[in-house]
Amino acid sequence: MGNTRSSQFVSRTAATAAGNLALVALVLGAGLVYGIGGSSAREDLVTDALINLVIVIGLQVFIGNTGVLSFGHLAFGSIAAYTTALLAVPATRKEVLLPNAPWGIQGVEINVLVATLLGVAAAVVIGALLGLVMARTSGLAATMITLAFLFVTEAVAENWIDLTNGAGSISSVPRLESRTWILLAVALAVAAAAAFRHSAIGRFAQAGREDELAAGAMGIDLRVTRFAALVVSAGLVGLGGSMRSQSLGTVNPTQFSFELSVIVLAMLVVGGMRTISGAIVGTVLVTVGKDVFRWLGDGPGGLPTVEGMPDFFLAALLLAVLLTRPSGLLGDWDAGQLAARRLKASEIRSAGRTQYGSGSSESGSALVADGLGVTFGGFTAVDAVSLRVEPGEVRGLIGPNGAGKTTFVNLLTGMVPATRGSASLGGSPLAGAPHAIARQGVARTFQNLRVFANLSVRENVAVAALSAARHRADRPPVDVDELLAVSGLADLADRPAATLDYGNQRRLEIARAAALRPEFLLLDEPTSGMSDTESEAMIGHVRTVAGLVGAGVLVIDHDLGFITSICDRITVLDHGEVIAEGTPAEVRADPAVIAAYLGSQADEIPANEVQA
Amino acid sequence: MTGFVQNLIDGLGNGSTYALMAVGVSLIFGVMHLVNFAHGELLTVAAYMTYFLQTRGTSWWIIVPLAITTAMVTSMGVEAVAFRRIRGANPFTLLLTSFALEILSHACWKLFVGSERKQFDKPGWAFNTFQVGPFLFEVWDVAAIVTTIVCLTATAWILRNTLFGLAIRASAEDFDAARLMGVKANRVISGAFALAGVLAGIFAALSLMRTGLAEPRMGANPLLKAVLAAIIGGLGSLQGAVVGGLALGVAEVFVRGYVGDWFGSQAAGLTDGVVFALIALLFVVRPQGLFNVATAERV
Repeated sequence: MGNTRSSQFVSRTAATAAGNLALVALVLGAGLVYGIGGSSAREDLVTDALINLVIVIGLQVFIGNTGVLSFGHLAFGSIAAYTTALLAVPATRKEVLLPNAPWGIQGVEINVLVATLLGVAAAVVIGALLGLVMARTSGLAATMITLAFLFVTEAVAENWIDLTNGAGSISSVPRLESRTWILLAVALAVAAAAAFRHSAIGRFAQAGREDELAAGAMGIDLRVTRFAALVVSAGLVGLGGSMRSQSLGTVNPTQFSFELSVIVLAMLVVGGMRTISGAIVGTVLVTVGKDVFRWLGDGPGGLPTVEGMPDFFLAALLLAVLLTRPSGLLGDWDAGQLAARRLKASEIRSAGRTQYGSGSSESGSALVADGLGVTFGGFTAVDAVSLRVEPGEVRGLIGPNGAGKTTFVNLLTGMVPATRGSASLGGSPLAGAPHAIARQGVARTFQNLRVFANLSVRENVAVAALSAARHRADRPPVDVDELLAVSGLADLADRPAATLDYGNQRRLEIARAAALRPEFLLLDEPTSGMSDTESEAMIGHVRTVAGLVGAGVLVIDHDLGFITSICDRITVLDHGEVIAEGTPAEVRADPAVIAAYLGSQADEIPANEVQA
Repeated sequence: MTGFVQNLIDGLGNGSTYALMAVGVSLIFGVMHLVNFAHGELLTVAAYMTYFLQTRGTSWWIIVPLAITTAMVTSMGVEAVAFRRIRGANPFTLLLTSFALEILSHACWKLFVGSERKQFDKPGWAFNTFQVGPFLFEVWDVAAIVTTIVCLTATAWILRNTLFGLAIRASAEDFDAARLMGVKANRVISGAFALAGVLAGIFAALSLMRTGLAEPRMGANPLLKAVLAAIIGGLGSLQGAVVGGLALGVAEVFVRGYVGDWFGSQAAGLTDGVVFALIALLFVVRPQGLFNVATAERV
């Protein structure tokens, strides 16, 4: 199994890298034809585009995989460029430029290749530190931290004059001879980005990009994925930054300003942030387009000179793309797909069958809640619920609207921190972040669907299976294709999950939760919004899937027909408390339940009017 | 001690003008989850309008209302033309779209007016100073603080006591629920942009009286301060935006003082660096900002 997975990783990475390198070669070919015999300005444009490629692909590794917007990545370029310059500029030159430089750095003069590598290393170290700082944050706060990081770096570069010569430059930066090194850097960036994309941590990051909560419920720790993505991307952007200063022969703060950060970000967004090909296409389009508009603005052939043309082009292009194709020009298309399509068929054939859970798990662990409750402000959503679900049991949880059913599931899965009581699984306490609880063996679905929208149906399930392989290895493995087949999704496996209809998305969520090899599946209204026939089909489906992985089930639902036919026992909640528990027949006859649903006057009700 | 109080007054003066912009940013975020990076461009529009009028001898008494109207109309126009199309898109797309509009605005001013600074006369009376005890005030400072207090109070009153304000607050809480209760989406969003535009216009009038110049990129810096203030306070929270603006203003003044003491006066450029480091630290400790708005996602 492990071998299959690592060979999949290698073949997919190879396909993505090959496809995108072919794309780079194509662009480069055009560039060389344009550059040959042209002025040195043309040569410079090609060099400029290649260095931009390294930076934008580096940016793609972070933004594209994690979905966290960063304004600050050029700071890594700045750090690497200054490090390279300080180490490699000739000592005689530094004595003139930086007479008061600290740490005796004046005397240092090392090989430019080593200096470049040390520059990249410095960017990686700072990236790791920033990653630790940012671990707790997401969304806008994370974006603003990257922005603050850029400004802090810029302020240091401008004001620590003894070390950086401030707004003046450190000139005479030596360079790695010939363009071969730059091409090598581009190839390295493509390969690293491809490898990250198909690595386990990269795929976890993409799941988190699509839905933070659902990723957590699959046992994915987003702090880890974001940290890893930041470190890799810091290294690549650092490499690009160092190359830029070398090719210009000088380093100063304006090379890594906020304005330029915006431009590289625009390149990524225009092409499509989710794929490497998107980064490549966007970089080339913006670099070339800006140059064309610069030429136009300079007034060729007697035309008047106009300022601001390149910026105008950039803004208009970015705006047009965002308003018409928010996912970028390429969306999810990657040149690697062309190469991968061939691999896929053989891969599936060779994956073979794996045995799965026996269905009975008498030896498993019970899910226990002991006085679990939460109060929001003054409102007690769940008072103190105690409940025990035996291994392999299918338990229903019903109650009127606002009874606290979903909140109870959120408490069990750690998505809402409990203010009192505790929960345990097989005697060991269930506590901590949602991903930690998921790893202990509690998987869930969501009432308002949370599939990983832009990932394929297969990848939705596969990413959970991958998480299980790491964190639930003691349970028998589950075959992804088997799960897709019993869920009726085999034919839809290659479609993006967002394109599925409602019922299929619900089945996909259940399949994804099952792929985590859980002890218990917590299903939050699996038939909500379904027709009667669909609900009926869902009964068999839940039983099959739970049996396949040998999991117990705790199911919330409004459909009493569904609940009574699927559950061994039912627990009834009202006003955040358990008011009844027993077999479906016992519960239906319970006066407290009848009172909760219809008011105390009602002494007899037809079963089909008891709506959960 | 006198120095401390003087710093505090200066900081609150600056900070209260940040608050004017920050409240606008926060309002717009509340109704459509957009961090509007184009909001600062309202200052630029108002500035060129002021330049156009002032150099033709128009009185400041006429310029100010016209500048405010320009900002308001532009704000509503941008919403109708651009943001309405992508309403409900993910925050990432919304933010980048506003960002693209900001760059487009910079480019257009450069393209059609030129990148050089346009200067106009400031009103002389604004810089008269007067002394109260040991403290020195400029008329402008006092005018700015008073105007800001009046505007923010008026905004709070509108939001609390009018039907429009109720609709905005309800939309900020839960937009879909508000629509089901009969709140008209177009009207409330357009209204929020109008109100934000008026506040930006007032900020513009105040700041233009002091600087007396217009240039293409002048909106970028105030916008950044406003966005930071709004996020520091907690996006969607109006008290938060005010507190965030004041905190940022005060922090800048004091940090500038200390940076001068520590690194020597030529290191004044480090002020922003230190302020940004403090902001980053705040986001690490409290990612949701000072005032927690109920934004927890439903599960």
